[in-house]
This record gives sequence, structure tokens and C-alpha cells, in this order.
Amino acid sequence: MAKPFHVDIVTPEAVIWSGEATMVTARTMDGDMGILADHEPTMAALATGAVQVHHEDGVTSVGVHGGFLQIYRNEVTLLTDWATLTDGGLEEARQAAATLREEDSTPA
Amino acid sequence: MASAELRLIRRRIRSVESTMKITRAMELISTARIGKAQSRLVAARPYAQKLDEVIRNVAAAGGTAHPLLAKRDVETAGIVVVSSDRGLAGGYNHSVIRIGEEAVRTHLHEGRRVNLYVVGKKAQSYFAYRKQAIEHAWLNVTDLPVYADARMIANVLLNDYADENVDSVEIFTTQYISALTQNPIRRALLPIEAPMGESDDAPAPVGYSFEPSPEEILDRLLPRYLEGSIYGVLLDASASEHAARRRAMKAATENADELTRILIRGANQARQTEITTEISEIVGGAAALGDG
Repeated sequence: MAKPFHVDIVTPEAVIWSGEATMVTARTMDGDMGILADHEPTMAALATGAVQVHHEDGVTSVGVHGGFLQIYRNEVTLLTDWATLTDGGLEEARQAAATLREEDSTPA
Repeated sequence: MASAELRLIRRRIRSVESTMKITRAMELISTARIGKAQSRLVAARPYAQKLDEVIRNVAAAGGTAHPLLAKRDVETAGIVVVSSDRGLAGGYNHSVIRIGEEAVRTHLHEGRRVNLYVVGKKAQSYFAYRKQAIEHAWLNVTDLPVYADARMIANVLLNDYADENVDSVEIFTTQYISALTQNPIRRALLPIEAPMGESDDAPAPVGYSFEPSPEEILDRLLPRYLEGSIYGVLLDASASEHAARRRAMKAATENADELTRILIRGANQARQTEITTEISEIVGGAAALGDG
């Protein structure tokens, strides 16, 4: 089993997801990014897309729109403007993210 | 038949009682709203804390020069006054509008121009009535503020700041301390006074890798920071508004209760007077008959 690390997905209105994960994938401005434990300290701008958190109980997919990803001291924090937790897989999360982008009238 | 006086008093009792029903309902609604507003305040806190932390880390890593952080000479001051859309909230609107208006006067007195922005119908009508030009008004926001509202406000302010229509922005709002205490306060919004310096528990991070560059990250971070600050302000104002309304309505309900009690006493007295008069009339009449 891969080494776990702490992940928080936070929007201004609520904490969307918080817990221990073994792997996180996210879409940043520079492309998709996979994060395992002991990643170097990083600050990245998030794009609109799906974030997948792999943890003990499976995979949680979240559609996000805008924001930042910080990796620091083996803690991953996603600060996103809008996020939707989905039950389904990657596609559904991407759909949710696209919906969020359409709802956001202002340019990011 | 009831006398005119008694009828009048009974009518007033009915009127006061129906008013009391309304004020009591409003009190209950506000109580529920405070709870909701408070939980939203709590829910918004993690984001604000994390964003503070992120900005501190970026600043520590070297990216601190940005137009939004730079102070410039103030020729035009931007002033935002956050009020509510509906009244019946005691002194809530009055106290925040008062400090906002004072600030407007001070700026004008010191030879600066003022761009006035208002949130809520109450401030809008107050300043419109006094022929004070309003740059922008946001209505129907404070009852239940959402993040999109904060973003909308932040966008307008950022654009005006970037176009140098305003050289500083301060916001006048009400800080929610507890259900009993809310204070009107002033907060500076632009230029951004970012939470610089190291956090208490963590040393400055080393070897941060940025994607894209620190400048670009900061460029995206600072508007979010402003949005977050405004969102916090709106939530605070919303909780304060509901708390102020609850208090005002509680007082109104108590007053109505007191008034009904006094009126009922008056009504009883009037009724008794009427009965006494009637009895003495009957007795007088009977006596007159007996004498005859």
C-alpha cells in the first residue's frame, strides 16, 4: 500500500473533501499532474477539469473550476473557486467542471 | 350595547395583536437565519485560512511585487458601504451608513474625489436621496450572500482600480461578534494588505516549485484573496443584519405585549364604567317609579 498523505479540497463556501489519500490527479494550467506522497513543495494554478483522489475506499472524483493547488510538507491543499463532488467517474467530474465554467460568467 | 370608547379600545387591541403576530414571526425567521448565517461563516473559514497561508508562502518564496499590493497616491477614494435590502433591523443600517458617510465627507474635505459603491437598497436610497452620485449598486445580496456575489463585486472594484478610476478602496460594513454585539467597522480592501511575514508555526518553505511562474500565481491569487475578503465581509454583514433584526423584532414583540396588557386594562375599566352607569340608571329608574 502506498504511503498516505493528507488532502483538503476547499472552496470559499465549504470544505468539499478532506482526508488521507494515496494519490491525487489534477488538471493544472500546465497539464495533468499526478501527486504521490513526498512530492516536492509546489504551487500550481488549477484549470477547469476533474480532480481524482485515490484513497482507501476507492476513488473520489471532483469537478473543479479555477483555483490553486499547494503541496507543502506532504499536505495537498486544493483551493478552488467552485467544486462539485460527483458519485461517478472521471467523465462525470469533467462534465460537472464544464457546467461550473458555464455558470461562472466572469473571466477567470 | 358597547360604548364608543370600549369599541375603540377593542379595535386597538386587535390591531396591536395582529402586529405582534407579524413581529413574532419575523423574530423567529431571523433567529433561524442567524443560525444559517453563522454556519456559513464557519464554513468559509478554512478557505480564508488556507488562502492566507498560500499567500504567505508565495510571498516568502519571493513573489511580492504586484500592482495590487503597491500603494499609490490617492486622488479618488473608493468607498463601499454594505447595508441591507430591507429595514426593520433597528439601528443596523443607520450605524454603518453613518461611518461611511463620515468617510466620504472626510475624503471630500481633504480634496479627494470619491467613488461611492453601495451594497443593499437601504444605503442606495439613503445616498440617492442626498444626491450623492453612486458608482455602482449591488442589490439583493446580503440576505443570503453566495461566493458569486463576492466575485461580481470584486471584479468591478478590480477593474476600476486597474483603470485608475479609484486609487484605494475601503469598505464599511458590520462585523458580527455575537448575537448581541455587532460593530460597524472600516476595512481597507485595495491596495491589498496581504498577510505577509511568516506564519507562527511554519518556517518559510524552501524550494517551492511554481507552475506557472510565481508572478502569474500571484496574479491569480490576489484577486481570489480580494474575493475571499469580500465574501467574508458579506457573510459577516448578513449575520449581523439578521441578528439586528431579531433584536429589533424581539423588542417590538415585547412592546406590543406590554401595550395589549395596558389596553386590556383600559377596556375592562371602560366596561366596568358602562355597567356601573347602567346599574345606577336602572336603580334610578326603579326609584323614580317607586316614588311615583
